[in-house]
Amino acid sequence: MAYVMLKPAAASGAEVHSAIAVKDLTKHFLAPGGAEAFTVLDRVSLQVGEGKFVSIVGPSGCGKSTLLNIIAGIESYDSGLVTVSTREGADARPRIAYVFQSPRLLNWLTVEGNIHFVLEAQGVSRRLWAELVSRHLEMVGLSGQEKNYPLNLSGGMQQRVAIARALAIEPDILLMDEPFSHLDAITARKMRFDLMGILARAKPTILFVTHDLTEAVFLSDRIYMMKTRPARIFKEVSVDFPRPRQPEDSAVLDLEKTLTREFFRGLEAEA
Amino acid sequence: MKAAASRILPGLLTVVFGLLVWEGISLFFLPVFFPGPVALLKCMIVIYSDPASYEVFRQTLLRIFEGFVISMVAGTAFGLLMGLKRDVEIFFDSWIMVLLTVPAVCWAFLSVLWFGISDVAPILTIVLIVFPFVVMNIWEGTKAIEKDLIEMGSVYRVDRLLMLRKVFIPQLMPYILSSLRISLSLSWKIALVAEAFGAGSGVGQQLFISFQDTRVDMMLAWGVSFMIVMVLIDLLVFRLWARRAFAWRPQPAT
Repeated sequence: MAYVMLKPAAASGAEVHSAIAVKDLTKHFLAPGGAEAFTVLDRVSLQVGEGKFVSIVGPSGCGKSTLLNIIAGIESYDSGLVTVSTREGADARPRIAYVFQSPRLLNWLTVEGNIHFVLEAQGVSRRLWAELVSRHLEMVGLSGQEKNYPLNLSGGMQQRVAIARALAIEPDILLMDEPFSHLDAITARKMRFDLMGILARAKPTILFVTHDLTEAVFLSDRIYMMKTRPARIFKEVSVDFPRPRQPEDSAVLDLEKTLTREFFRGLEAEA
Repeated sequence: MKAAASRILPGLLTVVFGLLVWEGISLFFLPVFFPGPVALLKCMIVIYSDPASYEVFRQTLLRIFEGFVISMVAGTAFGLLMGLKRDVEIFFDSWIMVLLTVPAVCWAFLSVLWFGISDVAPILTIVLIVFPFVVMNIWEGTKAIEKDLIEMGSVYRVDRLLMLRKVFIPQLMPYILSSLRISLSLSWKIALVAEAFGAGSGVGQQLFISFQDTRVDMMLAWGVSFMIVMVLIDLLVFRLWARRAFAWRPQPAT
């Protein structure tokens, strides 16, 4: 099924339009006590082309989540330029979906109710709800769980509901903040495969934050590496393997090895 | 079956024992001064078998209901406003504390002096005492609202009304329910006191008449009869409602 329920599909083959453009973004936090500011993001610039999967890899505390929050519009910044747009033009507000580290479901609503919640917020016509819910629950492998409550589901299933909720609004931009980091390795691996399968059908622009290079290499078209103190991007790599990929593919593993070396070298280098 | 019996039996025995001791002590006194359980039961039968008693109950229940509903609705709205709007919180913080510390009996006297012998006096007394209590409780509740979920909502551009309905109110439910139950029990106790002072009708007036006649037995009988009505309301309405409202919580393994 085509990804066209809410808006016309973008024409393929046109010039690559940047869905997310961040230029010289800087943000300071006040240190506890309020006196001294420390820099969470230091002149960070990045671009995410429409329909691309871009990862940001960095150690914890490097400001990756803050960056996503700023792009999502729920956190402020001190200077720089953040543009989030769709191909459809300046007046169309892009739909943004966000998958957080924890599922952040409303536990008092059913699985279906949680998805209805965002559909209602986005002004999607009620007639389409049932169809959107069942289609996206099927994508994440949770068909039949519509009437169940989140607390009756496992952590992995809850996170999938969160992914279904994000996809259900058919977002232009999907932000993901270490969505698999709370899952065990086996579930996480399966979810990465599933995500790839899902994205082959739904084609949002994705900005994915992780501290796991293996994950980033497997999933991304492009990887930005970030470090702390000062918090800035120090390397940009594009990953050109054809999809579908296998995480154990020797080319993938080789790239991962090279990038791991460069990543740690970069982290240890003086600013 | 056996396990249930062994759990209920000791409790039942203590109740029976207590009643026996009570009856024993009462034998040394006049029933109008210190009635035993048997004498009390007889008085209660008199009350329950008199149709006029139900009119008395009705009047009191209506006042409790009005005072209770006004306090709950206004208190919840105001508590929510104080929890969500910093300016409102700063402005009213100390006023709510002042309201909470005024002795109940002052409000009862004031209401009678201002509104005379009427329905307004007991209702106003209830509202003046219960309202600030509800505000405090809901206001406390707003501090427990998870910021993560509000953030999630704002990413998906959830508007205020939807946020209130699906994010705030459900998280406040435990506080709302406990406010409901505590304010109902507060309301009926206040209602009786307020009626005794100046309503000219209702259970409180009956208590006051028994007091003037020095009929301790009738006084207790009125009090206990009405208590039973209120306990039934609590059981039937709130327990059942609470069970439904929290259906989303997984049942603890038994």
